[in-house]
Amino acid sequence: MQTVTLTPIIQSKISIEAETITPDNFAGKTGEEIENITIWEGNHKTRLFEFFKIALEGKDSPENTKIIINGSIPRVKRVGEGMTDGMILINGDVDMHVGAKMCGGVITVKGSADSWAGREMKGGELIIGGDAGYYLGAGYRGESCGMRGGKIIVFGDVKDYAGEHICGGEILIKGSAGLMPGISNNGGIITIEGNTSMPGAEMKKGTIKINGVVETLVPSYKQEDDEEINGIVYNKYTGDVVAGGKGSLYIKR
Amino acid sequence: MSELLIKNGRVFDPINSINGDIMDIAIKNGKIVDDVSLSPNTKVIDASSMIVMPGGVDAHSHIAGSKVNSGRIMRPDDGRSGIEKRTKITRPCSGYTVPNTFAMGYRYAKLGYTTVFEAAIPILHARHTHEEFGDIPIIDKGGLVLFGSNWQVMEAVRENDIEKLAAYVAWGLSASRGYGVKIVNPGGGEAWGFGKNVSGLHDTVPNFDVTPAEIITSLAKANEMLHLPHSIHLHCNLLGTPGNYKTTIETMKLLEHIKPGMDRQVVHITHLTFNAWGGTNWGDFESKADAVADYLNQHDHVTVDMGQLIFGNATTMTADGPMQYANARLLNARWTNGDVELEDASGVVPLSYIRKMYIHDIMWAVGLEVALLTRNPWQVLLTTDHPNGGPFVNYPEVIALLMSAQKREEEMLKLSNKMRDRTTLSGIERELDWYDIAIKTRASHAKILGLTDHGKGHLGAGADADVTIYHINPDRVDAGREHATVKKAFEKPAYTIKDGEVVAMNGEITATPAGRTFWVNASVPEEHNTRLMRDLRLKFRKYYSINLANYMVQDNYVKHPVVIKAGGS
Ligand SMILES: [Zn+2]
Repeated sequence: MQTVTLTPIIQSKISIEAETITPDNFAGKTGEEIENITIWEGNHKTRLFEFFKIALEGKDSPENTKIIINGSIPRVKRVGEGMTDGMILINGDVDMHVGAKMCGGVITVKGSADSWAGREMKGGELIIGGDAGYYLGAGYRGESCGMRGGKIIVFGDVKDYAGEHICGGEILIKGSAGLMPGISNNGGIITIEGNTSMPGAEMKKGTIKINGVVETLVPSYKQEDDEEINGIVYNKYTGDVVAGGKGSLYIKR
Repeated sequence: MSELLIKNGRVFDPINSINGDIMDIAIKNGKIVDDVSLSPNTKVIDASSMIVMPGGVDAHSHIAGSKVNSGRIMRPDDGRSGIEKRTKITRPCSGYTVPNTFAMGYRYAKLGYTTVFEAAIPILHARHTHEEFGDIPIIDKGGLVLFGSNWQVMEAVRENDIEKLAAYVAWGLSASRGYGVKIVNPGGGEAWGFGKNVSGLHDTVPNFDVTPAEIITSLAKANEMLHLPHSIHLHCNLLGTPGNYKTTIETMKLLEHIKPGMDRQVVHITHLTFNAWGGTNWGDFESKADAVADYLNQHDHVTVDMGQLIFGNATTMTADGPMQYANARLLNARWTNGDVELEDASGVVPLSYIRKMYIHDIMWAVGLEVALLTRNPWQVLLTTDHPNGGPFVNYPEVIALLMSAQKREEEMLKLSNKMRDRTTLSGIERELDWYDIAIKTRASHAKILGLTDHGKGHLGAGADADVTIYHINPDRVDAGREHATVKKAFEKPAYTIKDGEVVAMNGEITATPAGRTFWVNASVPEEHNTRLMRDLRLKFRKYYSINLANYMVQDNYVKHPVVIKAGGS
């Protein structure tokens, strides 16, 4: 087992691009090598030790590597981008694009994550204890496929466009979601325990299940017979008809 | 006084009939010279066991202007691919089908190309095109200007006033600082303004009482009256429609009796991949490239280019607005539509060409069939109609396909059986040689554009010192079998030399000079100009959104011009 603990020592006002913080990249490295890993502060190239105190225990492969970030890093973006294995634990908040394109392993954010969390992820698990921003699990601008696999759980609320363009995988939101969750999705499963509005607009394929209140339902859904899932009765709809969609939308009766 | 000597290369210079001779190429002050006296200042490149060709010339590509930029705007996903960091001498690059301006120049130079022509400039948007030209480093440029759905053109055609039409063409080239006459789906761009299209060569354009056939022949006559260096450059009617090979051949026939004003073709018909199609619908869709090649084999007034399809992402962009609308609906794809006031229309649609979708497989075969079945190599240019058939960075793939029947066979194994049944490709054994490739990637492009007398496409004394040296020994490599080696060599030339300066080496940019822009200034008799200006003043007052005085591209938008004079005698 290899455990790397990063303790923030200063908070930059400028955003930091830290796609290099992954178990894949840390595994097998010495403390000095990790301290010297490149990150970018705005357009300025810098190194990890400028912003974090680093403590290292052991040396192991990515699947046995755990990164603990002890504190909030509200201006550090892209943590865990593309990671394939291992664990990251963030004891606080994190900036945009956490877990983007991740393929495996587990990221746990104890606080809240900003927008684009789990963007285009392919596998693994992303757990957010607090809230998440816009475009949770979505595809980036112009991309036709967002999340394709893996699982995202958010215990708090999320903002608009959660699961935009997702093609697979699973998103579970324990709180409420903003406007248009699952917009233009083409697969995958989204479950919202709380409230939302206009779910599944332009959905082609996939499943969206809502246990709270839907403020507005887009008019282009066809109502089917009610269905019972796990003891709860849902109004079932299929659509989005304007997109020739065959998606399923379940709203708790 | 910079001097450069390229020693002992195997030189392929078709315009000067040099076919693989071992020769030295001498360069002085940016021009090819007969010889240099070796001095300590002479830089020497040892090109022994390497191929030396003139710098590549691309007569049809979409590299700059409003359509390319629409593609960039609607495809942020494309911008995320092809990212290259800046270096000490290069600026950052992005994009694959619609690269940023810097990448256009660097990537062409890295591929051994030194001259590239943008194939569709609306006069009204020409200033934008030139602003992008200014940003594209290294390569020399020029642009073809859209005339095929223009009100002034159609009115002159209706009045059968070829002198006034010629005066307008000359004025339009000057207004746009453009090089030649492009015609896209003649009449269709105007009809699209009313949600319609023209259905063939003899359909009438709404409100103008002229037919596409009349527009084409009149513009060809005006083009030759002006002795323009390039012929009319035509994107046929019904492009993208099954069965369109008939219209393509009929269009070629229309122009059989027009006398060229220069020593060249009368018409260049572009991107045959999209208009040598048989069948009546997508179900019985098939290739008719053999019929088109048959015609080309019997007539020399027509040249064409492949517009080869490349599997993967493409961004289609054309002035053919109605075709793009049909495309977007068929594919349920993103769509940008443009209206260029009195001049034309446009559309941009991103798409992916997918192996085993038989329509795409057949289209892939069509380009290759046209190139291989047409006997005269000078008649068919190698292009991908970048980025309509695919991005230009794939030219080495096309070269390898043309040089190796084995590679074609290997590729066909990945494709649908319908492709084998509905094209003639699997029966074609022809393999092009190095000389043919030099013709199809530079010599013929320059000749068709009328640029050979202006220093392009060859290595004779006085030519621009644009030279490409490839890491491949034609004595050692059997292109038919070792197609992967061929592809690799063409992907990363050992040297690209522009105006005597090494601008790229082994796939790295080494210098970034600014390129020049060719444009044609054609003179016409004053009486025709006077009549024309009377019409134009009225048009601008009544219809255009801008004033005549603000319309012309000013000289400070064209920083390094090369002005070619033309005009009636
Ligand atoms: Zn084109």
